[in-house]
Order: sequence, then structure tokens, then C-alpha cells
Amino acid sequence: MKFLPYILKHLRRNWVRTGSTILGMAVCIFLFCTLRTVLKAMDDARELGSVTRLVTRHAVSLVYNLPLSYEGQITQVKGVKRVAISSWFGGSLPAKKESQDKSAPDGGQPDFSKFFTNLAVEDEPYFAMHPEFSVPADEMKAFREDLRGCVIGRGLAKQFGWKVGDTFFLESFIPPYRRREGPFEFVVRGIYDADKVREPAADDRVMYFHYKYLYESTGRRVGAGLYVVELEDPKQGATVARAIDGIFENSEAETKSETEAAFRADFLAMIGNLALLLNSIGLAVIFTILLVTANTMSMAVRERRTEIAVLKTLGFTSRQVMGLILAEALTIGALGGGIGLGLSVVIMRVMTRVPAIGGFINGFPNFGPHWSVSGQGLGIALFLGLAAGLMPALAAYRSRITEMLRQV
Amino acid sequence: MSAEAARQPATGPIVDVRNVRKVYRRDAEEIVVLNGINVQVPNGEFLALMGPSGSGKTTLLNLIAGIDRPTSGEVIVAGTDVGRLSESELARWRSHNVGFIFQFYNLIPVLTALENVELPLLLTSLSKKERRERALTALKVVGLADRAGHYPRQLSGGQEQRVAIARAIVADPGVLVADEPTGDLDAKSAEEILALMESLNRDFGKTIIMVTHDPRAAEKAHTQKHLEKGVLKA
Repeated sequence: MKFLPYILKHLRRNWVRTGSTILGMAVCIFLFCTLRTVLKAMDDARELGSVTRLVTRHAVSLVYNLPLSYEGQITQVKGVKRVAISSWFGGSLPAKKESQDKSAPDGGQPDFSKFFTNLAVEDEPYFAMHPEFSVPADEMKAFREDLRGCVIGRGLAKQFGWKVGDTFFLESFIPPYRRREGPFEFVVRGIYDADKVREPAADDRVMYFHYKYLYESTGRRVGAGLYVVELEDPKQGATVARAIDGIFENSEAETKSETEAAFRADFLAMIGNLALLLNSIGLAVIFTILLVTANTMSMAVRERRTEIAVLKTLGFTSRQVMGLILAEALTIGALGGGIGLGLSVVIMRVMTRVPAIGGFINGFPNFGPHWSVSGQGLGIALFLGLAAGLMPALAAYRSRITEMLRQV
Repeated sequence: MSAEAARQPATGPIVDVRNVRKVYRRDAEEIVVLNGINVQVPNGEFLALMGPSGSGKTTLLNLIAGIDRPTSGEVIVAGTDVGRLSESELARWRSHNVGFIFQFYNLIPVLTALENVELPLLLTSLSKKERRERALTALKVVGLADRAGHYPRQLSGGQEQRVAIARAIVADPGVLVADEPTGDLDAKSAEEILALMESLNRDFGKTIIMVTHDPRAAEKAHTQKHLEKGVLKA
């Protein structure tokens, strides 16, 4: 510790260079922590999801709907307890009815900054197979009795300040779900609470409405986005999935049935090989910062050849001199890592409140700073500092006093 | 070889250079810098080493200070054969036994005068307070206690050299080696530095070995020795 003031004074010697190196390190760790947090949230999302439910979708893509006739056939499969249609509506606020006036500021177009998940479901089987969602009985009754009714999560209600009885409009960006007479009108009939202990992936920022409303409003032409299938025995998931897909093999609309967790993984994979992309960016940034920091340390040490010789002349051993240089490099790493980590935590918190991005992020059950990612970030920062300081420190270790004094 | 094992009885001269040869190799070529040097410096001596450039003065000084090793022969300083110590033992030995004064002062620019002087004491087990007190005492000896908080860039050349001398004496070594300590100074500052070195020799009993080109500086020494082409002249 008695050498710490000495180390800090050296770091302040060329504060522009030290500051820019620390800033570079901070940006590196910020990017790493942020990217890793996104990846971790995606990984967690893959692992979560009920094992008692399957999702059956179009084998080609989620874009294609499945025929409604499939529901009855799936229900007949051995091991299936219940089946419910669930269609992703893709509606956005505030597509108000009056905004169909083309002179309106938004031109009648959906505002994606207020995007949230809204699903058209068959309410009875859907809520029966999702016990993690609890809706007061009177509210559920009111919902079932109103075709325009919807049930929203507590988080969504808080986000938009909605309460039971409020009315709002949604306009879908999916062409088959848009109608001539304008956006869909909805009435909040119930607010559900999500039991995350029972089901970690349970999201309280989703809106559910009647599939029947969607079906009838769109001229009874739309199919089912997907079928959620409740199993009688969770262990039979693979068998039941194979049996369902077997029924529709070689049909015009082949199916792909999988567990909810696998479905999430597939859904996220639609973004592309995001993990590979993010990891590649992270590695490239880390490697670049390693080179920059190593260069900085080399320059700093090269400029101090005489001082290193003086230290050795005064009685500092080669190990002690090497230790001082490594400590200096580690300090740069620790400062950069700490700043980058702090920046990452702040940005992640801010991002959750940013319109559109926040909606996407909040869709992940476990998005946010995590000790393992923070630990990795700090570890990398220290490693980068150490690696960057290693070569100049070794050079100082090996240097001979007389040679370094002679080069003055 | 440990420091203890290399330690010789502390009788006789404080510096005993015996038949030392120093050869540098550049590719296949051998450059003999010192050839068969024998010097004995009694305790409390003030010795001036003189000679033309390239005669081997600084090399001999470096050998005595323990920052270089002879190719052959023995360099015994304060009872220790420095050539037989390992690198780390030699470093520790230097910190206790030798104070080095450079021509260009070689103060650390980011440290204040007090911190520069305190630097050798970081290797000791002294507390921060004790280190500060000793460093301040050393600065008082060289007459710069009032400049303790100044950085080297805020000091004149003469003052910088005095701080460097304070740094050399702060660990209370028996031997001070100085490589052209007045070489970068004006006449007045040089005179002050030489007076200070005389005082250290006379009042504090420090053995001083000084390399110099300056005959006026050499006159301050008790003894002068001349090197030419790596050989000591009578």
C-alpha cells in the first residue's frame, strides 16, 4: 500500500493518455457487460418456460398461421389435456380511432414507441393452463362477457396508468389483422398478477384479448398463430410433440411442436445468430483495447527508462520494479473496469425506460445487471491491464541499470 | 551466495577493488574497459577519479556502487564482495550501503522533493511518519527543507542536485558515489554542491568517490586517481 501514492502519481503524469486509456477500457467493459447481459437474458429466457406446456406452430415460420381445424385434432392426441389458440396481434398505441383522419399528426400509423405484447387467445383454456396468472373472478367474468374486453398485466397497467373500465385502441402492423373500419377498440375488464415464483417466465406486461374478436373482426379469415398445448404428464412432452407433428406431416401446413423453452429459443434465434454477433463484437473490442493499453503501457515505460534505472540503483529489486509497472497497469484496468461497469448498470436501467427498446428489454424475464456478468467484466478489465503491462514489466525486469542510464 | 556469506571482516579499506577487469563484448569484438584495477579506499576518504572520456571512470564507479559486475577480480565494499551477490541481494545491499549521485540528478518528476528523498525509505520497514521525518532531516542537511513540497521542475539545477544528494544520504549509507555531480551545473551551484559534499565527508564521515573532469572539483577531494584506457595511473 505504501507504493500506491507512487503508482497514482505516475498515472497522473500524462493524464490525457492515462485518461483516454481508462476511457477506452471503460467503453470496452461497458460494451462487454451490456452485451453479456443481453446474452444472459436471452439464455435465461431459453431456460425458463413451463415444462407442462407445448407450443405448436407452423413448421416453416411463425409468420404463417395454422388452420383452425387443427385444434380439434390436437386435442385428440393422447397425453394432451387442453389446447388454446394464441395469436400474436402486434398492436400498438395510440392508434386512436379518430387518427384515421389522414391529417392527424401520426397519419393513423401505429406508434411503435409504445409497443407491448398483445395476444389474442381462447380465454377459457388459455387461462386454465396458465395458473401463474391470477385474475379476480368478477373481472374474469366481465372479461368473458365482453368481446372487446381484455385482461392486462399489473406491470402494463402501471406503465400506461390503465385501470378496469378504461378504453384504448390498438392498430396491428400485421396486414391481415388490420381492418378497414380502423383500429381495434378494447376495454380493460381485468388486471392479472403474475406469480413469478410459480413460473419465472411469467410476464405481467402482456395484454390478452378474445381470439374471437380478432377472428370476427377480420372477416373470419385468419387462422391460429399457434396452439398452446397443456400436457397431462410433463414427462411425455417429446412423445406428444412427435405425435402432433406426425398428424400434420405432409400436409399444406406442417407443424412444429416444442416445449415453451425451446419455442423461446427458436423465437430469439429469429433475430439471427445474435449470440455469435455479440460475442464477436465483444472479443474484437477486448482485443483492440488490449493492443491500445499495451501500447500505452509500453510508451509509458519507455519514457521512464531512466527512472527505472534510478529505482534499481536506489535498491528496488527487479521484481519490485516489475510489480510497480504491473500495479500501474492493473490500476488502469480496475479504474476502466469500474467505470465501464457503472456505466453499463446505469445505461441498462435507463434503457428499460426508453420507449420501444424498453418494451423489448422488459420482455426478458431476467434482464439487468448480474453479479456473474459484472465479475466477468471486472475480471476481463484486470486481465487486460495485466496482459497490457506484462511485456513492459518484463522488459523493465530484465533491463540492466548501466544500459538504461547510458541511453539517457 | 547469500549476502551474509559474501560479507568479509569489516577491517581494512571500506572499498577494496582487487585486480578488476571489465570487458564488454560487441559481437565478436572485445572491448577492455578496465584492466587489472586495484584500488583501496579507506573509510572516510574523499576520492576523485579523473581521466579522459572512455577511460573507464564511470564503469569503475558503477562496479563500486554495485550496479555492474566485474568480468574478473573482486570488488569488496563495506565488507561485502558485491560480485558474488545475486541481483536481488545486490539491490538490497545497494539500498543499505551506497548512495548514488548522478550528473543529471535523475529525480522523479512526478514526485515532490520530499517524496523523491523518501523513495529509498519505501524499501524499509519504517512507518510513513518516520519516513517523512527522515526525508525532511535529509533535506535540512542539504538546506532545502523549505522546498520539500516543490516538484523538480520548480527547482534550479543546483537545488535539484541537492535534493538528489539528500536522496543519496537518506538511508545513511557508508559510501557515496557521484558521477560528475557538478557536470551539469554553473560554477556557483557547482561550488555549493562541492561544499556540501565536503561537509558530508567531514561532518558525517561519509566515504565519497567522485568521478569528475573538473580539476577544481577534484581539488576538493583528499585523493585523486587518474584512469587512462582502463588502467590506473599513479
